[in-house]
Parts: sequence; structure tokens; C-alpha cells
Amino acid sequence: MALIGRLASEVRISRVWPGWSHLPRDARDTLFLLFVIGWTVLPHASHLPLWCSLLTLVVLLWRARLAIANAPLPGRWALVAVLIVAAALTFWSYNSLLGKEPGVTLAVVLMALKTLELRARRDAFVVFFLGFFLILTHFLYSQSLPVAAAMLVSVWGLLTALVLAHMPVGQPSLRQAAALSARTALLGAPIMALMFVLFPRVGPLWGVPQDGQAKTGLSNSMRMGSVSEVAQDNSIALRIRFEGAPPPPQALYFRGPVLSRFDGLEWQPLQPSFGPASVPRLDLRTAGAPLRYEMTIEPLRLTSLPLLEAANKAPAIEGYRVVGLPDLQWRTDRPLYERVRFNAEAFIDFRHGPASHELSLQDDIALPPGYNPRTLEWATALLRQPRYATAEPRVLAQAVLQHIRTAGFSYTLAPGEYGDERGHDAVDEFWLDRRAGFCEHFAAAFVVVMRALDVPARVVTGYQGIDPSPVDGYYAVRQSSAHAWAEYWQPGTGWVRADPTAAVAPERIDRGRRLVPAPGLVAGALGNVNPEIFAQLRDGWEALNNRWNQWVLNYSRGQQIDLLKELGFTSPSWEDLALLLIGALSTLALAGAAWAWYDRHRIDPWTRQMDRLRAALQRAGLSAAPHEPPRALAHRVRARLGPPGEPLAELLDTLERQRYSRATVTRPDASLTRRFVAHARALRTRGA
Amino acid sequence: MTGNANLASGRAATSRLNPANFARARFRAWVDARQPRTDTLLLTQRNVYILPTRAGWMFGLTLIVLLLASINYQLNLGYVLTFLLAGSGVVSMHLTHATLRGLTLHLKPVAPVFAGDPAVLDIVLTSPGAARFGIGLKVSGAGETTLTWLNVPTLGQAHAQVSFVPPTRGRHDTPTLGAETRFPLGLFRVWTVWRPATQLLVYPQPERPPAALPAARAVPGGPTQSRSADGGEVEGVRAYRRGDPLKLIAWKKAAKTMDSGGDLVSRDTSASAHQELWLDWQACGTLAPEERLSRLAAWAVAAHRVGADYGLRLPGLDIAPADGDAQRRRCLEALALWR
Repeated sequence: MALIGRLASEVRISRVWPGWSHLPRDARDTLFLLFVIGWTVLPHASHLPLWCSLLTLVVLLWRARLAIANAPLPGRWALVAVLIVAAALTFWSYNSLLGKEPGVTLAVVLMALKTLELRARRDAFVVFFLGFFLILTHFLYSQSLPVAAAMLVSVWGLLTALVLAHMPVGQPSLRQAAALSARTALLGAPIMALMFVLFPRVGPLWGVPQDGQAKTGLSNSMRMGSVSEVAQDNSIALRIRFEGAPPPPQALYFRGPVLSRFDGLEWQPLQPSFGPASVPRLDLRTAGAPLRYEMTIEPLRLTSLPLLEAANKAPAIEGYRVVGLPDLQWRTDRPLYERVRFNAEAFIDFRHGPASHELSLQDDIALPPGYNPRTLEWATALLRQPRYATAEPRVLAQAVLQHIRTAGFSYTLAPGEYGDERGHDAVDEFWLDRRAGFCEHFAAAFVVVMRALDVPARVVTGYQGIDPSPVDGYYAVRQSSAHAWAEYWQPGTGWVRADPTAAVAPERIDRGRRLVPAPGLVAGALGNVNPEIFAQLRDGWEALNNRWNQWVLNYSRGQQIDLLKELGFTSPSWEDLALLLIGALSTLALAGAAWAWYDRHRIDPWTRQMDRLRAALQRAGLSAAPHEPPRALAHRVRARLGPPGEPLAELLDTLERQRYSRATVTRPDASLTRRFVAHARALRTRGA
Repeated sequence: MTGNANLASGRAATSRLNPANFARARFRAWVDARQPRTDTLLLTQRNVYILPTRAGWMFGLTLIVLLLASINYQLNLGYVLTFLLAGSGVVSMHLTHATLRGLTLHLKPVAPVFAGDPAVLDIVLTSPGAARFGIGLKVSGAGETTLTWLNVPTLGQAHAQVSFVPPTRGRHDTPTLGAETRFPLGLFRVWTVWRPATQLLVYPQPERPPAALPAARAVPGGPTQSRSADGGEVEGVRAYRRGDPLKLIAWKKAAKTMDSGGDLVSRDTSASAHQELWLDWQACGTLAPEERLSRLAAWAVAAHRVGADYGLRLPGLDIAPADGDAQRRRCLEALALWR
């Protein structure tokens, strides 16, 4: 939309547009700065209120018009009035002037208005510094590679505008200023790298309001249809790297929230509140060797930690406390607002839950009265069959799964809405009438049926499956791998996993195929033309992204401490980091001073060559004054030495030609110097 | 291009007793000893100074804010941004310093001027290496707006003119000059102080409007000259003839006639007895000494313009009548330096 507005205004401007090269210097510089500001603000358009984007666009275009027409700027009071209106609108949009969103909105408006007040050099600097601040605000929303690249362009543009402002003579070209600013930034890059690596990472200095809740992926509740949104999301939820070969797809269940309570519409966890004081008992019995892996979780903004089933101890995550719940779910003490990387262990072969019947299992058998009566009837009918009348839960589960396999159920990502207008009796409609759905439908219906059969059962949510091939050693787990499965309780064994989705769509589980929605137009076309290239492009992009995440975004205190250990510190602390940083910067400063000192004594190469030739002549016994040109020296050599000195004289003549002929030679000829010194030395030894 | 004069003027003797003034004088003397007067100054570490500008401090403040935001929101890219800007700032410090360092400043000989007229200082900047951008020159102490900006090309030279208005006649030291730059980012100001050795001769300010020239006297026994020779009394104008001396050309008239397509116009002189024009201190009536000098200067200029032979008579100093540029210079110099 902003683009269309800009195009429209360009059509309007074209009437007064004198052409880029005919613009006066001031107008050109202002337009360039406006363009950079527009580029810097543009990515914010998606999360700013519409009025703010429009106001910024109008102000920037108006300022461009003023610059082209060389018209006077508006008075200060008009700007103050607009600013007050903008502040009021901000308050109207957010009910506050503080916090991230209102702050960014106000900063954008201030930036736009400040361009209308570019009078003195001080104003220009305010624009530059506001610009740098605006660049930072983008990182509050995203620190991805594209954002970083766009903002790098912004920094370059702002620095170029700054350099332009300090080239007051003539009309320096944009390209020249851009090259100069790029040179400045590139020379500064080593300092940046050094400080980035060594600057001690500390936690937040004071509390900042955290906005935004779970944007996607796992949540603490499930309604039929809610996972379908997740299925559309092909972004990466976590990355995993195994020590050794990855386990078979059937074992790749990443356990998220366990949902036991069903009110007829929604599934919820049994104990949503969790006191940090109590450390519950993990009823886990494992067999075999653990599978070790490293996991990097994107900021999911959840407290649930989707570990591979089943983990028996909490992984160590810097800055977080991880606790296991009795239902084998792992939680952090606060939501993951940053990307974390940690090592963990999983036991593929495990049993958990009480072996004998406990009172707590009653929660997993309760069904809300009055909901899904036909499914309950269906279950009762099943129990009436003699072979199931006294069957144990394992047999009943097999029977239900067999029913799913054979009764014409189909797997689809677009099953449509289930239940009446309030969502009642959705399981009835799914189980007996339409029989089409995806993991959550199957899991929910399975659990309802099992409970109706008087078997404790519950829904488990999480992720299932990984990308078939690793990128950089890491297997990606995508939001579209979000999954819901079921567990029922078998006396003597405990909780047993049952994945009814596998019964109807085995490839979904066995081959790790994700829920694949219809691809978008461009991706679809690309995929149709050449699926391999498309897949390769995507893999390459994700490898790049992964490196970016691992090396830049995930760089934290842990990595710093590791670095210090590699450098030989026995028990590094952040004080060591600070000392190392100070030491490195001091060394750099000393190196700069040494360079300047060297630079002071640096001599023009031609002068240095002449000095050497003169010294050689003097050693050979000829006088040579500093003001004498090579021609005069050649004359003297011929006069004093005669034929033996002829090579020296010829070399001097050559030098004379190099220096003063029309075809300029840019650098002194080192071989000439060498030959000259050698000849002079030969003369001296012959003379002696 | 125009500069205000800021020559140190003598202060009242009583202020010398003030310790602050004493300290300032000592400091001044120390600075002067550090910077010997020279017409060609090579800028090195020793005579180039650097301090952050106000914008530089603001930049530092911005960096602190960015760093705090990065820490509080745990933004690794924020760190990258902050440190990239910090690195660029540090590099810009070196680049700003290197913009002046290594340059050679040279002051060309300065032509004498009349008091009250701007004196133009021709300065040549030579770069021994890379191109330099955004160098400003001004008379030390003058306002920011009087800066003359220039770029010096790679291995090349650039010329700049700085002007200032000398207040009084006499032989003056060239004012202290300042060269400064903020290139590339404006975070640091690098400057140098240059005291050129060349002295500047300032003639008395000519009286305005000029009084009429005193009457010339015929000198008995002077050489008689033929018609149309120079040195005679002006009678009228005629068309230019090949061989007419330049000073006989009536330039103002010639400008008009040439404008309308005509030819040069020469003055016609009569072949009267040799005339002598004396510009005499005593002929100035009851004026104050400086005003007499002003009048004499105006007369000398006028006499030179009409091409007459003239002499100057000051108390204790006589300059024999002659004409030409040398005579003009001799007379005006005598007036500038008198007492």
C-alpha cells in the first residue's frame, strides 16, 4: 500500500521534477536522506497503526516536494501541533504512551516530523541518531537475516548521508560518499567483532514489559480446529542434532503439554498452576542407553519445553530453571523469549505412570455429562460384545485403532468445522458421520472413546517427526510438525502411547511427513517447475539461517565462557571477559598510535629511492647534495669516474626519464635501485 | 571568504598585574614558542589537535542508549549495531585526524593593502598522498561562517583564499590562521593553528572622498618636450596611436568608447615646461596626523592614476618626484611606516 502511495505521488511530483542530475546539491542530499529514512521506517509499516504509516508517508513526501521546489519549511508551531495530535492518536491506539509499541510509533512520527525541521547541523544529527535508534527498534520484532540485511543498508545509508553532510565543497557524488562511509564501517568492523565477542553479556538491567503471547505452535489448550493454524506455519520450531544416528521416526515424539481435562469443548492440562517450590515425582522407568542430543529452541514464548520422549533429568539452560511434571512434561520457570541451546538425553525405551490403579487416574476417565451421547453409545455397544466385555485396556485400544483403520476414516487438513454452532458434540459428528480429520480429531475422539470404555486416557500435544535430511548436522522440527496423540493407562505397565493418526495415515508418522497444506502460488509454481531446486534453495536458505542463529543470535554468556576456556582461562568469569576486552581495545589503540607514529616517519617512495642512490654514491666517494637532480648526478659521475661509471650514469638518466618524462611512472623501480647499489659497491671495491 | 580581524591588541598596562592575565600571557608565549612562525607548515602529530564535537558527545550518548536497550531486551543484533557504530566512530577519529595530518600549508606572498580593505591570503594546500575532503580555513578566532571550504585531490594541490581586514596602517604580522575538518562523520573536530611568518604591509586608508590634488609647479629649466610626449599637462583626449605609453590611455573613456565599438583613447598632453607635483605634509592644513597620512595616500593614488610625476614630503623625509608603480609603492610604504 505504501508502495502504491509512493508511485502515485511520483506521478504527481514528475510535473516539478527537474531530473536527478539537475537537482541542486541540497535538494539531492535531502532526497537521499528522506529515501534512507523511508527505507528504515518501511518494515515497521506492518505493525504500526495505519494512521502512523500514512502520516509518515505524507510527511516524507511533502518534505521531498519542498526539497525539490526549494520551498521554505513550515513553522515550528505547526510541527508541535502535529506532534501533539500524533501523541493523542498514539494514546488512542494503545491506551498508553509507554511500552514498546507506543514508543516505536512515537519514534517513527518524531523522525518524520524532524525532517521538516532540518535547519542547522544539529537538526541533521538528531535525525541521524533517531535513525540509528529506529534501526534498533526493528530488532525488537525480528532479528532474522533479511531484517539484518535491510538494516545494514539503512546504517550504510545513514552513514553515507552523514559523510555527505561533511563534504561541503562542490557536488560530491553519492557513490563517492557511499564508498567513503563503507570504508569507515569496514575499518570499524574488526572493533565491532571484537566487542561483540568479548562484551560481557549480562541479564536485563531492569524489568521490561513483555508483550506478545504464544504466537503459534503449542499452547496449553486444544479445541478441534486450533492446530490447523499451526499446520499452515512452515517455520522452524526447534533444531536437533543427535550424537550418532537419529532414532526411527516412530520414536520421534517431542512431548509438550498433556491435556487431561475435557469440558466437552476444550482440552486442558490437569494442573495449570504449578508452584516452583514443589518438585514432583517423575514416575519414569527407563531401559537401555540414553540418546544424547543438542537442541536449539526458537523463542516459542511458552513455558513448555518440548523434549524428546522420554527425558529423566532436566537439561541445564542458562538463565532458566527446568522442572519435570508428573505427566512427563518439562517446563521452564518463565516463557522462552529468546532462542536457547542446550544438551539433553532421551530414553527411547521407557515406561511411566503408576503400575497399579491410583486415585489420581480418576481425572483421566472423567467425561462431561451430556456431550457426545452417540459416541458413548457406540462404546457401550463395543463393550457389549463378548470378547471385549472383560478385555484389558490394551485389547480395547487395539480394537478402537482397528476400527479407525477399517471404518473409512480419512486424513485431511481441511475437514471443516465439527459440532453444532456452539461446537457441541463435535466428537459424535467426527466419529460416526464424517470421519475425516487430522491428528487432533483422531486423538480427541480416541481419548473420548477410551474413557467411555472406562479406560483412563489423555491427549498429549507436541511435535512429531523431523525433516528427513539434516542441514549442517541439524534436523529441523517445524511448526507444521505439531501433533496430538493419545495415551491410555494399562495396569502393570503405566501409560501407553497410542497414535490414532498413525492408524489412518501411517506415512504421517513413519516417514515423518508433515501436515502439508496447499502451497502458495509462487512456491507452488516453483515446486511444480523443479521441486529439487526448490527444496535445495530452501535447504540452503535454512542452513544459512541456522548458522546465523547459532553464531550471531544465539551467542550468549555460555559461548563466551567456552571461548575463555579455550583461550586458557581455568575458571572464567565475566570480569575476565571485561579485562580481556579492555586489554584488546588498549592493544588496538596502541597499534593505532604506533601506526600514526610510523606514518609520521613515512617518506615519499621517490625520496627514499633518491636517498639510497645518494648514499651509494657517497660511499663510492662522490659528493651528492640533496637538491641535485639525477641528471646533475649523472653528469658528475661521468666527469669523475669516466667509462667505469657509465652504468651508474645510465641508471641515473633512466631515473631522470622516469620522473620527468611525459609518460608518468607511478612507483619507483626497485630493480633500478638494486642494480645501482650493486654497481656502486663494485666500483668501490675496485677502487679500494 | 570575508574574515573579521582579530589581531591581538595591546591591553592596558594595569591588566598585566592580574595573575590570570599573566598566566594567559605565559601560556600564549608557550604556545607561540611551540608554533614558530613559518610560511610553509607541514602538519604532523605535533601540531594537529583533536577533540570530540558536541555531535560526538551526542553520538556517545546514543551509543549508550543503544547498548542499554540491547542489554535490556537481550538483542544480539542490537549489540552488533551498537558496536558497528562504535567501531565506525573510532575509525572516524583516525580518519578525521588523517585528513589534516601530512598536509602542507603554504602562504603565498601577500600584496599590500589599504587599511580598511580586506587583505587576501592565498594559501596552497598540498597532499602527499590520498585525497582530503572538507577542510575549512579561516582566520583564527573568526566565526564558523567565515570558513573557506576546500578539497585537496590525491597527490595534488588546492588553493584557498582567506581574507581579513587589517585595522591600522603599518607592518603587521599575518594573523594566526586555523585549518579544521570534521570529515567524515563530524564526531570529531581536528584543527591546527598556523602562524605564517610573512608580514603584511598596510597603507593608510585613503581619504574618502579624496581632496583635490594640490597644484603642480612648473620647474624652471626643466627639459622641454615635444607635443604628445608624456609627462606634460593634460589637455584633452585623442585616438590611440601605436606606441602610446600605457599610462597615457584614458581607461575610463576608453572603456566607454570600446563598449560602443570604438578604439582606445589616449590623453593628449601639451609640451609645457616640466611640472612637479609635491604631496606635502604641510599642505594638509590643520588635520590630525593620521588624517594627513590618509589625505597624502589618497593624493598619491590619484597622482599615480593620472600619471603625473609626484614627490612626497613628510617631516624628516623627502621622496624625489618620479612616476610609475615603484614611486607609488615607495610613497605609500613611507606613509604606512611613518613613525
